[in-house]
Order: sequence, then structure tokens, then C-alpha cells
Amino acid sequence: MTALVWAVTLALFFSGLATTVLRRQLLAMLLGLELMISSVNVALVYSASLAHDPDILAVVLLLLAVAAAEAVVGLGLIMRAYSRGIPAETEAFAELRG
Amino acid sequence: MSLAEIALASSGIFAAFFGLKMLFERSLYAAAIWLLGALLQVAVFFFFAGAPLLAFLQIVIYAGAVMVLVVITIMAAPGSAGLRVGPLRLPKFLAAGTLLIPLAQVALFLSLGGMGKGSLGGEMGGQVLLGKLLFGRYAAATELVTILLFLAALSIVDFEVKGKA
Repeated sequence: MTALVWAVTLALFFSGLATTVLRRQLLAMLLGLELMISSVNVALVYSASLAHDPDILAVVLLLLAVAAAEAVVGLGLIMRAYSRGIPAETEAFAELRG
Repeated sequence: MSLAEIALASSGIFAAFFGLKMLFERSLYAAAIWLLGALLQVAVFFFFAGAPLLAFLQIVIYAGAVMVLVVITIMAAPGSAGLRVGPLRLPKFLAAGTLLIPLAQVALFLSLGGMGKGSLGGEMGGQVLLGKLLFGRYAAATELVTILLFLAALSIVDFEVKGKA
């Protein structure tokens, strides 16, 4: 059972990683990040259920909140790019400025 | 393998399947729907792992709030970008299936007694215990995350103000 959960976690994580690395749209990259975070949460919750350790669940709950904040800021930045007429793709953000 | 483990395995396999479908999907709408399916399956996983509160929060925060924001962002994609990422290219029964499969799993395994004494986590994820941890031992971390959420909200307002200026 543990091997199956680890396989699922790895499949989810690498699906997210591949989406983040291979896709050009910023929104698709953000979706990949969400999937990677979910895969980590799956591993943590399964570890918590094996060890009967509620502390890990508290950490997962905090992680959920942090991931939500990250998603909101990322989506806000993409909306800002849309409103300024910049295509939300990686080519448009290839240089640092400031 | 106990019933709870079978429930965990089925939700994990479905989540991995939906995640892989998202990877190979060109349309952002369809990718978002596959991601929604994966997130709901993760919630089912949490439920049968003995963390029903986390499952509830996963649905409310991820499958609810974040996915609504994602769909709104896709809808706001201008002109050519919108045409390129917009089309659903996904049969509607498949899209409905991503929502119905988790419900069917929970109903099936609960009716078979999947959350009984053999459940993996037992009462581990009870909200009273989690509340005591979050506002006791992890109070500082909880406060930090609260401040982070507040800053995220402020940054969105700042983006809007600067966008209009």
C-alpha cells in the first residue's frame, strides 16, 4: 500500500513538474504548481495516517493556506499582465528589470 | 488490504490519472477541469486517510475558490490568447465525470463501511484536536500564515490600483 501511495505521489508531482517546465502559458505553469503542492500534501497526510500524528495534519493545513495565497498572487499577476496587454507567456517575461 | 486502503488506492489512482491527463491537455479550460478532478480525488484521499477536516478545506479552498479564480482568469484572457487557450475540447460527460466520480467513491465506500474502526487515521483529523494544535503549539506559524494571507490580499488590491493608474 505504501509503495502505491508513493507511486501516486510521484506521478502527481512529476505531472505537475512537467506541466510547469514544458508549458509556456503562465496559467498552465501555475496549475502545475498546484498539482505539485497537492502531491506533497498527499504524502504528508498518508504519513500522518500511518504514524497517527495529528501534528503533520496541522502542517498540511498551514500548507493549504500558503498555497492558496501563492495561487491568488500568481493569478493576480497574470490578470495584471492581461490588463496591460502583455501575453501571459514565458517569452514576455524573459528579462529582469529594475 | 482493508476497505479504507482500497478507497485510498482508488482515489490515488484516479488523482494520478487526472494529473497525467492535465499534463497532456492543450486547452487550458480542459486542463483546469482535469486539475479539478485531481484535487477532488486528493480530497477523497484525505477523507479516507482519517482527515475529513482537511478534505473539506481542500474542496473549499482548492476545488472551490482557487479553481473559480483560475476559470475567471482563463475567461479574461484577451483576444488571440483567449481563442488559443479557451476551447473546452472535452466531452461534457467527461467533465461531469470528474465531479461525479469522487461523490460515487465516497458514497460507495461509506455504504460499505470504509470509515469504520479499520479506517487508517481514525479520529486523528478531528477539528478540536487540530484547533488545539494550531492555536497552541503552532500559534506562531498560524499567525505568520494569517499575515501572509493578508499580504496576498493587499497585493491584489495593489495590482488593481496600479493597473488603473
